[in-house]
Parts: sequence; C-alpha cells; structure tokens
Amino acid sequence: MTDTKFLKASAWRSIDSRKDWLIDIAKQILVNPEPGFFEKKTARFVSDKLNELEIAHDSGIALTGLKGYLDTQRSGPTVAVIGELDSLRVAGHVYVDEETEAAHACGHHCQLAMMLGVAVGLKASGVLEGLSGRVALMALPAEEFIDVEHRYGLHNAGDIEFMAGKQEFLRLGAFDDVDMAMMTHTSLLGEGKFSLGGTSNGHVVKFIRFLGKAAHAGGAPHVGINALQAATVALNALNAQRETLRNEDTIRLHGIMTVGGVSVSSIPAEVKYEGRVRGGTWEAIDDANQKMDRCLRAGALAIGGEVEIVTLPGYMPLINDVNMMEMFHQNASDLVGSNNVRQNPSNVNRGGSTDMGDLSQVMPVIHPYTGAATGSGHGVDYVVKDYTQAVINPAKAMAATVIDLLAGDSDRARKVVKNFVPNLSIDSYVAMQRARLTEETYSST
Amino acid sequence: MNLDDIKQLACEEIERQGERLIGVAKDILDSPEPGFQEFKTASKVAKEFQAMGLSFEENIGITGLKAIIDTQKGTGPNVAVIGELDSLKVLGHPHADPETSAAHACGHHCQIAMMLGVGLGLQAPGVLESLSGRVTLMAVPAEEYIEVEYRDNLRRDGKIEFLGGKPEFVRHGHFDDIDIAMMTHTSASPDQGKISFGGTNNGLVAKSIKFSGTASHAGGAPHLGVNALNAAMISMSAIHAQRETYRDQDTIRIHPIITRGGIAVSSVPADVRMETYVRGASIDAFLSASEKVDRALRAGAMAVGGTVEITTLPGYLPIQSSQPMLEFYSRNAATLVGSDNLSQLGHRTGSTDMGDISQMMPVIHPYVEAATGNGHGIDYLVNDYNLGVLTGAKAMAMTVIDLLYENADNGNKVVDKYKAPLTKTDYLSLLRGMMKEETYTE
Repeated sequence: MTDTKFLKASAWRSIDSRKDWLIDIAKQILVNPEPGFFEKKTARFVSDKLNELEIAHDSGIALTGLKGYLDTQRSGPTVAVIGELDSLRVAGHVYVDEETEAAHACGHHCQLAMMLGVAVGLKASGVLEGLSGRVALMALPAEEFIDVEHRYGLHNAGDIEFMAGKQEFLRLGAFDDVDMAMMTHTSLLGEGKFSLGGTSNGHVVKFIRFLGKAAHAGGAPHVGINALQAATVALNALNAQRETLRNEDTIRLHGIMTVGGVSVSSIPAEVKYEGRVRGGTWEAIDDANQKMDRCLRAGALAIGGEVEIVTLPGYMPLINDVNMMEMFHQNASDLVGSNNVRQNPSNVNRGGSTDMGDLSQVMPVIHPYTGAATGSGHGVDYVVKDYTQAVINPAKAMAATVIDLLAGDSDRARKVVKNFVPNLSIDSYVAMQRARLTEETYSST
Repeated sequence: MNLDDIKQLACEEIERQGERLIGVAKDILDSPEPGFQEFKTASKVAKEFQAMGLSFEENIGITGLKAIIDTQKGTGPNVAVIGELDSLKVLGHPHADPETSAAHACGHHCQIAMMLGVGLGLQAPGVLESLSGRVTLMAVPAEEYIEVEYRDNLRRDGKIEFLGGKPEFVRHGHFDDIDIAMMTHTSASPDQGKISFGGTNNGLVAKSIKFSGTASHAGGAPHLGVNALNAAMISMSAIHAQRETYRDQDTIRIHPIITRGGIAVSSVPADVRMETYVRGASIDAFLSASEKVDRALRAGAMAVGGTVEITTLPGYLPIQSSQPMLEFYSRNAATLVGSDNLSQLGHRTGSTDMGDISQMMPVIHPYVEAATGNGHGIDYLVNDYNLGVLTGAKAMAMTVIDLLYENADNGNKVVDKYKAPLTKTDYLSLLRGMMKEETYTE
C-alpha cells in the first residue's frame, strides 16, 4: 500500500519551493489579459513554463489551448487538471488592458498557475512512481462566453465550431483520453478558504440583429423603420415576462447592445444585441428562451421590421462528482482546517455558468472554489488579494487529490469512473450541442 | 318681401323664443345621456316638435328624430339642420350625471336648441312663403364615438351597424332626401372670435381590443399565468415607439384607454380590454397608422404568449366644408357679431361624423365661441347662451333663407357645384371595408 501521506507531503514541499515562481506566473498573466480565443501570448507563456518543467505538450488546440501529460507509465485512468487561459472584458478594471478592455476580473490567471503548481507537486521526486495512470495538464481557451459576434464569425469561418474552450476540446477529441477532470476557481475572501459542491446555471447564447430601414431622422422618419425601437420594445417585453420565471429555476435574462445605431440623425437600421438565457434546468432554459424569442419577434413585428435570432449552444449545468469531492474536501481540510472548508448542497446554484458544466455531463469533475479575492466577480474591483490561497493552496489540494485518485493501482480513480453515470457520451454531447445552434429570421411582413 | 326682411323676421322670432330655447338647452344639460341612450333627450325634442306642430319620425338609429318643414314648393333642395342628442362621459364635470358620469362637456345641448331655434325662426309668419324646397330638422344620436365596447355589442345584437349616429342615419336612408346639411357646434377658443368656420377635421377608425391570457395566482404561481395586462402594456409601448413615423401633416392621433385591466390584484390578469381611436387627416393616413397599431397589438400578445382580438370599427371621415355655403354663412355671421369677430379655421384634430356627411353632400359645421374651459374636460361650460343658442340659430336660419329664397337658386347652385367624393353606396362600402375582426394568437 502506497503511503499517500508521504507522497502528498513531498508534492506540497515541492510546490512550496516554487511558491514565488508560481505566484509570479499568475501575476504576469494578470497584467497581460486576453479574451477567449485571443490568448496567444498567454498560451505561449504557459507553454514556456511547461517547457521549463520539461513537460511535453500540444498547443494550438481550439486555436490557443494546450495539453501535456505526466505519465506514470503504468495503466490507470487519466485525470485532467485544468486552467483557463482567457480573461473577461471589463472597462475600468484595475488591471485592464486599456486597448482591448480585457481584464482578469474572474481570476483565471490564478488557475494557470495552480495547474502548473499541480505539475510541480506531482513531478517531485518519487511522487509519480507511487501512482498509476496519467495526469493531463490542460490550459483551455475561452471559458467566458463573450465576444459573441466575433466568435460566431469564427464559427462561420470554420475556425471553431463551438464557441467555448471545453466545448471545442470535447468536439476535437481532446477529452477522449481523459477520464475525470478538476479545476479550482477563485472566489471571494470570506466565502471560506475552500468551498465545494453546488451547481451552476446552464445557458444558451443569443446573437440578435434587428433590421429596419435607415432614413433621415429629422426629415423623413416616416419612411424609416427604427431597429432601435424594435429592440426597445423587445427588451421591455422581455422585462414584462420576468414575473413568469420561477425562483427555483434561477433564470437570468441579460445582454448587451453592441450596435445601437450609427448616426443620431439617421433612423437606426441595424441594432445588434448579444444575450444570454441562463437557468438551472434544460426545461427552464428552453421555456425562458422561447419567451425571449417571442419578445424579440414582437419587437420586430411591432415596428414592421425584421429580426435575426441566432441561438448558440451554451453551457450545461454543473454536476460535481461526489467521490472526487470527498477526496478534495479531505485534502483541503488538511491544508486549511475543516472549519475553513464549506460544502454546498448539490442544488445550490451560483447563478453563473461554466463550460466545466458541459464536461460534467460526460465525465466526473470537480470545480471547487478558493476564497482569495475581493470585489465583485466580473466587476471593476475584482482583485485577487491572497495569492497563497489563490495559487498555492489549491495547487496543493488538487495535487493531493490526484495522488488520492492515482495512488497505487489508481483504485480510487477506477472507483470514481465505475460509479459515474454520464448523462451524455462525448459523441452524443457534440451531437446535442450541434443541434442547439439555430438561426431564424422573423419578418413582420 | 326682400331677403333681408325675411331674415329679420326669422331672427326676431328666434329672439322672441329665446327664453324657451335656452331653457331647452339647460334642461338637456341637466339630463345628459351618452350616444344611443338619449331616450329622455329624444322625448324632449319630440315634445318640442309636437309643440311646433311638425310631423316627425322618431327612433331612427335607436333615438334619432327627423321633422320636415315643407315650403310646399318643390323646386328647391332639402336642407338639413342638425342637432346632436348625445353627451360625453366626463367624470367630475359639474353637470355630470352622478350615476353614469354622462356630461355635456361638448355643448351638444345647445345644438338641439339651435336646431329648434332655426325651425321656429323659419316658422315665423311670412318666412316660408318666400322660400322653396324643404328644411329637415334632425336630432341625431351618438356623435361622440365613445363606449366602444357597449356600442360594439349593440352592433353584434343587430341594433346598429355603425357606431355613430350620422352613419346610421345614412344607412337607414335618412339622408337620401337631403341635399345640403348644416349644424353649429359650440367651442371654447376665445382667440377664434365669436364665430368660426371652415377648416378640416381628422377622420378615424376605432378599435375594440381584447387581450386574453391565463389567470393564475400572482404570488403563488405567476409562471403558470399569461399576463394580458403586460401584453397591453407592451402594445402601448410599441404604439408609442412608432409615433416618430407619423408625418406632421397627417396629424395622427392614437389615444387608447384601458376599460378592463384585471379584476383581482392577486390574480394574473387574463382579460384586458382596450379601446382606441386612430385618427388622421386623410383616410389613407389613418388606415396606414391603423396597421401600425395592429402590429403593435399583435406584438403584445406575441411577447407574452397570449391572444389578442382586434375589432376595427369604421369611425368618421375627414370633414370638408362647402365653400359656397360658407360664403353665405360668413356674411350672415358678420351681420350678427361683426366681421371682426369671425375667424376661418385650419385643420382640427378632433373628429365628427359630420365629416361623413361632407363626403356625400355640401355641409358646413361652424362653431360659436360660447363656452369656456377644455373641450371634453371637466370645466367645459357654456357661459354665453345668447351666443351659444340664439346667435347660432340665427346665423343658420339666415343661411337657410339665403339658400332657399324664392326659387332656391342659391341652394340649387350650391348643390350643382358640389362634387361628391363618395356616393352613399361607395360610402357604405368604404365603411364596411374598414370593419375588421382579427384574432392573433402566439
């Protein structure tokens, strides 16, 4: 029987020894934020660090993704440890790139350092020798489902099919040899040093174009068809529907207007809106999505215009694997004390969404949080304060969990796989997401 | 007797009957009744017709009356002098019926007295003998196009086909024998002098709208409901969002009211009713705006996943006044109030079913500035009954005399010169073509 305690201690010591190196990685990525599918510099930087650790890897998966292995050379499941490459865009964020408005307002920069930290820990002398199976180290693009029009353009150009990193990795077969996956997301200080469990909203993503007819807004408004009025009517209508949404479905209907007219003196003939329909279950998302579509059509109908509604396959609700969580919980407790580890019931929904949810439909995953930041997630003031808790501790907790899973003949990982009942196979997942992309043009005439 | 002497006889008679005529106006003021329900008002008119020794028909278009004053000389036209029987409904008007809110906030009570005054003036000894043709005194119901749902039910019950009094009179053939028509409305625009005339009015279609949803507990299960009130609100927003598309010269007016907006605050409203007009300066303009309104109404139902039933009812047509008649009328008005106190009107954005009549025969629809306050408001009060009843009656009586004097040459000329935009058949089919019932379900 392998002494996991010894292996973990060895891994943790190794991580501690690279503490400054790891935290510096996070901070360098922080000040070079790049949104999804644009993470070229970030990917090269992570690639350099993997090279530094002498970890062979593929790059350019789904445009910018990376994947390397730590192989024990013994048979056993493959456990993926994931970090997300992309930033958000938040104008006015403390660490914003002034040119692109890209900003790490969601802490992904720490995830990459954690992932490298796990590698550092597992590469400590003697650790891999005590394990069976493989560890896939993955840096994935585009978890934030933003830049919808741009990504839809990439889709139409054939550069990507799905518009988020894990979705594309799944489609490209990059998870075919992976049996289970984990990653740790930063959250706010005060939410417990670690918190586990719960679920997230699924969603569909909308790319909308209201089409009208330009005319002189002063001289001849009667010959124009105002696409902005169509959008306004549609959004008012959408707001009127909110009373029909059940609290337990945690529906979120929101969006941004990316084009609202081009000249104030010309009746807006094209208005673009990027929207999202989130909800806790597929039924709830479908219902809310139908309501949104009705309202969008109603806006076009009222004004006598047209609306193009593109519905893009979004994310699926997250399911945390109970067995993997148990191991992570124990390791986190060993690190920071059990009173600093929160376990959320599986039905607690954070309201947001992640493509880790998609992965959780096909394989066992965990997606715990580490409380290290202050401010408001996705806001201008979301800043990671406690880098030990943001990088080092989660790297240690994940490394220890990998050790638990793969120790000896990887009995515990095999048990995780055996007990897991996937909602979807990867093939059926891809087919289902593909079918969810719909394009509709509604004309009032 | 010369023309001026005859006019003077008529005017003196009206003056002599002043107290009686003003009494009729005030009596009607105190018992206001909305359109197609003017039973008491009609019986007051019937009593006056009887007192004047006139034979008359009644119950035309439910409550209307029509009396003939015949010169027994058939060479002249038949000139109708019209008074409108109906009141508005204005909550809080000082003369409102506390039970029904009916109130004469538009001065129709004076019109009936003016119409009777014209009759009495023409009955003065010596007057009719010098005239040819006939004069028809008409008390017509329901000029105010209100209580749309109520009237639409009358229509569905077959009691009326059109929702205004004059269209009903036309449909029943009561304008078939009329060649020329006139009436005088009170007004409260002091900047228009004492008498004003001419100009044009908006036409309209009216809509009776029902949004249907699904009732459910508004607190416990709003997700099971379909909110018809929200459908109506979305529709109204959408109607407003299109106002920028109306040309100034089309003077589009769209002004809905909600007559039912839900019945219990704790229940998601499943039945919401709306009434609106769509007015405009030309038939094309208001029909085009009407289509935009229909789109907005459907959009409301579509957005919430409900149903909307839209009944579009023919309303009134834009008015045009006969220029040759106005020439006679303005001269007479000038002798009564002085030419400084006359004014020529431009386009008015209200509507009247006198517009319908103006599409088929020469008409005038002048105003006497006898009131103060806001037309259709709680403070609209006739203050000057001499002007509002007696002067108004005199100016019309004098004009009738101009038209029918001797062999009614002037009246015949007015008729000959008039080019009718519509025949009665065209008119009825135009109105029937505007009638539309549509159900839209998401």
